[in-house]
Amino acid sequence: MIDPLKLLGYRFFQNALIGGSIAALVCALIGLFIILRKESMIGDGIAHISFGGIALGLFMGINPLITALLASVVGVLLINFLRKRGIAQSDSAIAVMLSLGFSIGLILISLVGGFNVELFSYLFGSILTISQFDLMIILGLGIITLFLIIVFYKELLSITFDEEASKLMGIPVNMLESGLNILIAVTIVLSIKVVGMILVVALLVLPGLTALQLNKGFRITSMISVIVGVTSVIIGIFVSALFNIATSGVIIFTLTAFFLSAAIYRHFE
Amino acid sequence: MENKEVVIDIQDVDISRNGDKVITSANLQIFKGDFVGVVGPNGGGKTTLIKTILGLIPRQKGTIKLFNHPIDSFKDWRRIAYVSQESNNFDKDFPLTVRELVGLGRINRSNLGKGLKSEDWKRVDELLKFMSISDLANKRIGQLSGGQKQRVFVAKAMVRDPEILFLDEPISGVDPETQERFYMKLSDLNTKTRVTILDVSHDLSAVFCRMGRVVCVNREVNVADINDEEKFSDVLKKAYGEHFRFVFHEHMCEGLFEND
Repeated sequence: MIDPLKLLGYRFFQNALIGGSIAALVCALIGLFIILRKESMIGDGIAHISFGGIALGLFMGINPLITALLASVVGVLLINFLRKRGIAQSDSAIAVMLSLGFSIGLILISLVGGFNVELFSYLFGSILTISQFDLMIILGLGIITLFLIIVFYKELLSITFDEEASKLMGIPVNMLESGLNILIAVTIVLSIKVVGMILVVALLVLPGLTALQLNKGFRITSMISVIVGVTSVIIGIFVSALFNIATSGVIIFTLTAFFLSAAIYRHFE
Repeated sequence: MENKEVVIDIQDVDISRNGDKVITSANLQIFKGDFVGVVGPNGGGKTTLIKTILGLIPRQKGTIKLFNHPIDSFKDWRRIAYVSQESNNFDKDFPLTVRELVGLGRINRSNLGKGLKSEDWKRVDELLKFMSISDLANKRIGQLSGGQKQRVFVAKAMVRDPEILFLDEPISGVDPETQERFYMKLSDLNTKTRVTILDVSHDLSAVFCRMGRVVCVNREVNVADINDEEKFSDVLKKAYGEHFRFVFHEHMCEGLFEND
């Protein structure tokens, strides 16, 4: 077996730990808002829309994270448009955009000769193989997202708890809601390399869901959510490197173990 | 006549919902420091009237002014606080402590994107104390009883130091003793801070014993001073029907006042 301490000396491993931790941190914070707003479906929807973007990047020879980001943000704005105009309700609007994004992805993939190793790395994640450029994208997007969540955390919490009361407090509810949805899109894209688009919703939802089992206030719940998310990613990266197994699988398995432990604790508390 | 400052001015307002007229030709003036009970039968339009005053529901006709400023361009929401009928219907698992929730009440246009300051938290703690809920500060809001929740939401509204407080049936479903304590606190607030209070209520004796004026809403809007018994009975009849009788007797308010 490889010496775990020796692993820390490798650049690829350091990149994985930094990129993975940033993604987990942002996912854990923004995921809490997604759960409390009862909008987990939007995470899954955007992840599928990003598939169209990834395929476009592979088709055009551009870094797929960039095209995935564009597709996800456009997808979120279109979902908002469909909702606000009353053309489709929330879940239907997500379903429409999810299918559209995924179908565009399938068409483009078939045009470039079908599924290949690189595409699989976006579908199922490949944090141990991220490039320096991918790491810069994850770090840049992660720091911006983290900054905005921290700056507007009390307003986001207020609109999540009571939208009508927030409007009457002078909070720009519509602008913040659109902003939050764009941040969700950005967060999903920066997490694709960590766990892949298929499992990204788990990285978003499971840390917050675990923290919520412990019945604490918002500050402590956010901290527990972050600790659970980041710890799971670090465990996942180490275990997968040591035993040569899929990183995303170990990360989500660890997150699920944390969640089940917390749920059992709550049950017997 | 005493020259009182008008804080809410409603002139000739019509409100329709889904094509049906809910309120016709409403005229109403509320003065600074008023403690007003808004009463009327279910479906009479009380909540609709309050939400229209706050600009949450559009009107078809007439003008509404808050602090002499048209509601359509009103921006000074720091002066207003509102506890809605639905406040209580939050997710019981929502991870907020009482202190965190009341702290959210300090958000206004001038501190968007900025953290709450130590003076904000000081005001939060003062309000928790005033509403006798300091011991609940670190409790999760989902663990509170009905009466405790309502005091927390009033604290969240009052922590804004508003000039007008709108309450929409804040104590429905709460036992009579808790209701009594709640109204004592409201009277206290009104007296000490001169905050104008509009309280939508079904409890006519609380309105009669605690408040200064009554607004009766049943498609039309009528106002009376509580001291004017004849007018008070008259507007109640207009809202509840000709056969409605509100019986006054000397001891009616004793229970409500005994702890003052």
